[in-house]
Amino acid sequence: MSGAQLGKDFLGMIGLAILATICGLALNRFRPNPISLVYQSPDQQLQAELSQLVNGPPLDSFPVETISLDQFRVAVADKGVTILDARAATYFDRGHVPRAINLSRQDFGHDYMRLRPMLETLKNKPIVVYCAGGACHDSKMVAQALTALGFTQVRIYPGGWDGWTAAGLPVVHS
Amino acid sequence: MVKWLALAIRIAIGAAFVYAGIIKLQDPSEFAINIASFQILPNFLISPMALALPPFEIICGALLIAGVWRRAAALGIVVLLTVFLIAIAAALARGLTIDCGCFGTGTPSRARMWLDLGRDALLLGGALIAYGYGGYPPVRSSRTLASAA
Repeated sequence: MSGAQLGKDFLGMIGLAILATICGLALNRFRPNPISLVYQSPDQQLQAELSQLVNGPPLDSFPVETISLDQFRVAVADKGVTILDARAATYFDRGHVPRAINLSRQDFGHDYMRLRPMLETLKNKPIVVYCAGGACHDSKMVAQALTALGFTQVRIYPGGWDGWTAAGLPVVHS
Repeated sequence: MVKWLALAIRIAIGAAFVYAGIIKLQDPSEFAINIASFQILPNFLISPMALALPPFEIICGALLIAGVWRRAAALGIVVLLTVFLIAIAAALARGLTIDCGCFGTGTPSRARMWLDLGRDALLLGGALIAYGYGGYPPVRSSRTLASAA
């Protein structure tokens, strides 16, 4: 076999590879579910999808039950209730409600993936979400995202961190 | 006899790769996960590889079966198999337990990786035969025919 023949075969192979690449990209273009040209692992895809859940404005068609400060105090004292803080980690670290776990709206995808093993056990358990209070919508968005993910007993305390601290109730610092 | 054996090997290799390509074509996202599990390619090459490789296998396999552009197709399969062998061997050496996704998705296992290695080595042998001897009719240059006349 000559070098010229090998060279010719090699060029032919390159031609076939180019043809195959064009075919592959064209087929992907017309698939019902095309894959992204930039690879994302299944975990990265899930994280992106989770982030999408909290990126839009609060869904008014997705009502979430609210509770009062007194009900929130009872919930915090009840170890059967999970308390979630929807504020960004910076604020959570500066101080949060006792027993609260940080599941921030800002970093929802990442936080949810981190807490997933624990959260998956709470699908039918009571959860209360709070954020800063006042005009903050983060708790509502996190609550709606959790409801969309199949959590059945999610409520929010709209008074949030401001309401809790204004009442002089105990706080925890990370 | 040798002629027929080489032909049979060529067609068998071609059919195997058409089959393998069709299997991978059905779920490119799963195949992309298989490629990523080798931890060799950078991220930006994984999806293009997952999209291009199945058609390449099908095209080369079909050309081998048809005996058209046999050498280029066989060389393509030789190169593919060499890459697969190196990738699987590297994964074994690094202690990874993965599913290569070569002929469909399965449960990752070290034993299966060794089987894949052996299988691909056999296929490589067949592809080399298809490259060198798989022509039909048998390879005889026109000069040989002219001098025999």
